[in-house]
Amino acid sequence: MSVKIDKILVSIFQRAFKSITDEMSISLTKTTRSPILCEAKDFVTGLYDAKGQMLEQTENLPILSFSLGPVCKVILQQYGSDIHPGDVIIHNDVFSMGNQNNDVAIFKPIFHNNALVGWSAAKGHQADIGGAVQGGYNPNATEVWQEALRIPAVKLYEKGKLRKDVWNLIFANIRLQMVQEDIKAQIGACTLGERRLEAFVAKYGLEVFESHKQALFDSTEKMMRAEIKAIPNGVYTGGSMVYFDGKHKGSKFPIRTKITVENDNITFDFSKSSPQTKGFVNGIYTSTCSAITLTFLQMVNPNIPHNEGMIKPLKYIVPEGTILNASYPAATTFGNHLCPQIADSIFKALGPAVPERITAGWNHLLCSLFTGNHPRTGKKYVDICFLGLKGGSGALKGDDGYDHIGMIDASGGVLDQDYEMYEQQTPHMILQHEYLCDSGGAGEWRGGLGTETKILLKGGDTTMVVFGDGDVEPNYGLFGGKGSVLNKIELKYKNGKKLIPMSKDMIHGIPDNTRYFQIAGGGGGYGNPKKRDKEKVLQDVKNEVVSKKAAEKIYGIKS
Amino acid sequence: MKFKVGIDIGGTFTDIIAISDTGDTTVHKTLSTPLDPSIGFINGLREVAEMRSTDFEEFLSSVDTIVHGTTVATNALLTLRGAKTALITTKGFRDALEMRRGIREEQFNNHYKNVTPLVPRYLRFTVDERIDAQGKVVKKFKEKELLPIIKKLREEKVESVCICFMNSFKNNSHEKQAIKFLRKHLSPSPSKRAGVRPVFVTASYEVLPSIRFYERVSTTAVSAFVGPIVANYFDNLIKKLEDIKFKGTLLVMQSNGGVVTPDVVKKNPAVTVLSGPAAAPTAGAFYSALLGYKNCITVDMGGTSFDAALVIDNQCVTSTEGSINRYRIALPSLDIITIGAGGGSIGWIDNGGLLRMGPQSAGAMPGPVCYERGGTVPACTDADLILGYLNPDFFAGGKLKLNKTKAESTIKSALADKLGLSVLETAAGMYRIINSNMAQGVREISVERGYDPREFLFIVAGGAGSIHSSEICKELEIPMFVVPNVSSIFCAAGMLLGDLKHDYIRSYFSSFSKIDKKHFLKVFNEMKEEGVQTLLREGIKSPTPPSPSGREKAKQVLPIGEDLGGASIELHPTLDMRYVGQYHEVPLQVEWTDILNFNLENVFEAFHKEHNRQFGYSLKEEQTEMELINIRLRMIGKMEKPKFLSSKGEAHNLEKALKEKRKAYIPELNVLQEIPVYDGDMPLGGAVIKGPAVIEKITTSVFVSNDYDCLVDEFGSFVVYNKLVYPDGFKMKKEILVSSL
Repeated sequence: MSVKIDKILVSIFQRAFKSITDEMSISLTKTTRSPILCEAKDFVTGLYDAKGQMLEQTENLPILSFSLGPVCKVILQQYGSDIHPGDVIIHNDVFSMGNQNNDVAIFKPIFHNNALVGWSAAKGHQADIGGAVQGGYNPNATEVWQEALRIPAVKLYEKGKLRKDVWNLIFANIRLQMVQEDIKAQIGACTLGERRLEAFVAKYGLEVFESHKQALFDSTEKMMRAEIKAIPNGVYTGGSMVYFDGKHKGSKFPIRTKITVENDNITFDFSKSSPQTKGFVNGIYTSTCSAITLTFLQMVNPNIPHNEGMIKPLKYIVPEGTILNASYPAATTFGNHLCPQIADSIFKALGPAVPERITAGWNHLLCSLFTGNHPRTGKKYVDICFLGLKGGSGALKGDDGYDHIGMIDASGGVLDQDYEMYEQQTPHMILQHEYLCDSGGAGEWRGGLGTETKILLKGGDTTMVVFGDGDVEPNYGLFGGKGSVLNKIELKYKNGKKLIPMSKDMIHGIPDNTRYFQIAGGGGGYGNPKKRDKEKVLQDVKNEVVSKKAAEKIYGIKS
Repeated sequence: MKFKVGIDIGGTFTDIIAISDTGDTTVHKTLSTPLDPSIGFINGLREVAEMRSTDFEEFLSSVDTIVHGTTVATNALLTLRGAKTALITTKGFRDALEMRRGIREEQFNNHYKNVTPLVPRYLRFTVDERIDAQGKVVKKFKEKELLPIIKKLREEKVESVCICFMNSFKNNSHEKQAIKFLRKHLSPSPSKRAGVRPVFVTASYEVLPSIRFYERVSTTAVSAFVGPIVANYFDNLIKKLEDIKFKGTLLVMQSNGGVVTPDVVKKNPAVTVLSGPAAAPTAGAFYSALLGYKNCITVDMGGTSFDAALVIDNQCVTSTEGSINRYRIALPSLDIITIGAGGGSIGWIDNGGLLRMGPQSAGAMPGPVCYERGGTVPACTDADLILGYLNPDFFAGGKLKLNKTKAESTIKSALADKLGLSVLETAAGMYRIINSNMAQGVREISVERGYDPREFLFIVAGGAGSIHSSEICKELEIPMFVVPNVSSIFCAAGMLLGDLKHDYIRSYFSSFSKIDKKHFLKVFNEMKEEGVQTLLREGIKSPTPPSPSGREKAKQVLPIGEDLGGASIELHPTLDMRYVGQYHEVPLQVEWTDILNFNLENVFEAFHKEHNRQFGYSLKEEQTEMELINIRLRMIGKMEKPKFLSSKGEAHNLEKALKEKRKAYIPELNVLQEIPVYDGDMPLGGAVIKGPAVIEKITTSVFVSNDYDCLVDEFGSFVVYNKLVYPDGFKMKKEILVSSL
């Protein structure tokens, strides 16, 4: 007998699921140690039903928006009926639906009257995951084992009992003690989610839970389908370019997308993209689908709940062997950072159909990671230079881009380090971190501003790993809008020598008092700059974010 | 008779409570005068005198203290109508204020905009000075660099200037030089002084001398932005009070729940940004203590928003992680969660066909449909009316007639028809959804901070909250809630219950093993001395009266190490600390004696315990080292609390108080049912009202749902308890002695 649907209760379900995944995220922020987790919030928390369908998630970084569900389904398939209260399952393997080696997931099954009713899950980017290079970014890798320890789904706890042998095996292969603490924090967050969902199902009963959950999916799917229906039917194509695989200078790899909209269905087909590379610049199915999903979510009503109903109308075609879904045993750590190119190709494809929903080009990631010894503490430090890497977002119809937001995979979710904390925790001294004049692509709506950063590297014998892109092709403008400036990193040694690293590179032994210089480009502009509101141009000139010269030459306004 | 008066100026109403030393209380609400709020302030005082049939001057001469809560600073921030403000900062860091560390709160919304910076870029100036991470001068500050900036400030007619230099928490000498030079050059010359206000100048070391550049520059900018307006407001108010010959003391409510003199506010105006709402938790702390509880949650449901705050161990919980209108303010403020749920919250149907409530609100104008002030969309109050919780002829004591028919027809056409539900079902749905939203807000302030709401007394202030609380409490399994007698002017009452409070902070970045005891105590002593001197100026008596030989001796009364017992000054030190390797520090309240005796073992033990409580584990077994980030000292000058009249012997009035029977919605049974309506303005001390029932007061209504009964306590407050939890009725935890509080 079917249960009568109480529409009001469906609303309450949605709110309650969201509050649970939010609560799990807050717990993780406060308990984890690696700055990548507690400051940059590179983690996702979610709830799934017994079939692995998403009830809700809090993604923190949009690139994780599709990264747990596929793994949940893999776990269900692998364990079948061998799932028990008190089990804790760990997973990172990119060849069984993981999205990046460093992103380690924890899953806890949830039971009601001895029947599996759902899962709580948390996945976070670990500070180390074994492999040849600390931190996991190994520009020289050609196979997965040079990058990371592979963890296919395995039980860390069975029926509430820690499997110490498994735990020891895993962490014997990971460099930092911190990672163990952070995994403990992830298990804690899952326990929190487990307790609350358990109580929730007990309160309403299984029948009501199942039927109303389905009603929630249906309602969300309806919202998503309405959004798709608003896009004219058709087949749309777009493309973008990935530069340098870390191995072959001057190499480039096209991304090609074909999007088919048919009434309330949409298919994203990336079959025509380049074959996989020999280096680590390769995507994997899950990371690519995340990138597609987050880009499309930016084009629809931001209030759509994030559950299975949201994903259902989206179809992904990403064949194995392409740069976006590399075959076993390829190196793939850079895969998450192909998101900017995937987003570009989708925006470019759908531009003619829905020009009011897309943005001009966002700044691509170009990032450096410093390691060394801190003379004042005598300890080793690791620091990803978040503050330097964040450029502007592309403008869109009606609004300028967002200044200093960073790559689209994060969309403003990654915080800069605080300057004074940075100078306490590293030996370095920040000399400048400011908006870069004329970096926002000109347009009727201007691209978001990029930044320029200068840091005096101290302490001596610093190692710098560089990874990213955006140093060859500028972010594009749309409909007459202009592109922005290129990303750039440069070292200036005390003896006057300069060094411009490649976009995937590793530099050792940087001496004391070397100057680090970085430009993160702005976003592209949208529409003809000559049509920009005069007051806005004058305001930009007054604020010295657009030069007088550019105002006259590009915007046609004398000040 | 001597009076204490609390005045809380809100957007629509100015609430006033006057309590005499014998407990004689007058409560009044008058309209606010937003253009010059001091007019409503004085009007209100005059009206209270009239209500008491006393001559105004005579009444004023009997008032020894007025405590005031103001939204002047809050509104300046919300409406961006603050002073024209400039910032002077270190070369290379011009944009930190606007960048906000590069965050975009709504990641999937490309139309989401950054906040308008309180200081626009063209008024953000840099000077080539630098102090390094250890406090060493790398580049000297040169006054002459300020000259062209001063010229520009004059040209632009800047009204307020703030200074924030890198690492000034380690070494503030450059900021001090700059502030001195600017104050000298930006004051009007003596010949022009009449009528010209000097430019407001402040520096980060005066506002928030602690590590984290962004938090410091943002807080300092807020202070400068609201500074001239707040200063103006108080100058004007003080003059008006002088004009009417008020001779008592004027005190101001701060965001941290304490009070201060206007002089202190004028120096750091940012301390008043939560001046109004801060009083509710303060009053909550008082009421829960009356009932023998240490912990409570206070909620305040107004027209547009729902505020929730925590009281732990009879102290309001403060946080330094607050912001208003997305402007970051890192000063200690009461930790208040605000969500968009109020009487004006609008019901709507999303694209998926689901009913939602808020966060958009019809506010007070045009308000809910039933107000008949032009509102056209169904709001929470419309649903409450249809469900029988409100009396259409007795809203605000009958001053505002509510149109039920209109509410019904709007809910029908806007929501019910589309949902395929009846009007009653839809109204009940609106009621349940908004209750669920508010319950999530309460969960956020409690569970997410590591507290179990079931262990808390639930105190309801504000007009609309008391008809929603049965359901909120049920969802969170909170066994009882209290609607204080003066709930609708809870904040104004709370003003009279606050103490003088001053917060001091110094950054002290060090692992514990490397702390120099002498230096550590010296820093604490500096803060303590500053606090003691301020409190003495504010009229707090020092433990031993200063001897005739003057200030030097007075200072000696309170050397470090001396017990302050017996004095009306309390010291509450806090250490912001963490395990080495962690990123987020945890503020840990410690004992003053442990500081004096440098008893770090006790501190470590307490930290392990607190970490375990908040996050579910500690690293005690691993003996992980800890480090210190900031040290804080809160200085409290205890104020005398007013007395409230009490009576238990009024239960016999209950029969007379029965006004009528009315149909109301019973959520537990999902039906409309005829239930009794009582006059809550009758003295009913000691009576027990059986649920389901509605209790009507002029200023508020209380809905006692099916599973609840209500005890009217000796102060006339309504204690509504779940009878499934208290099958034998509710008993007070202890006999109450007001004078002991």
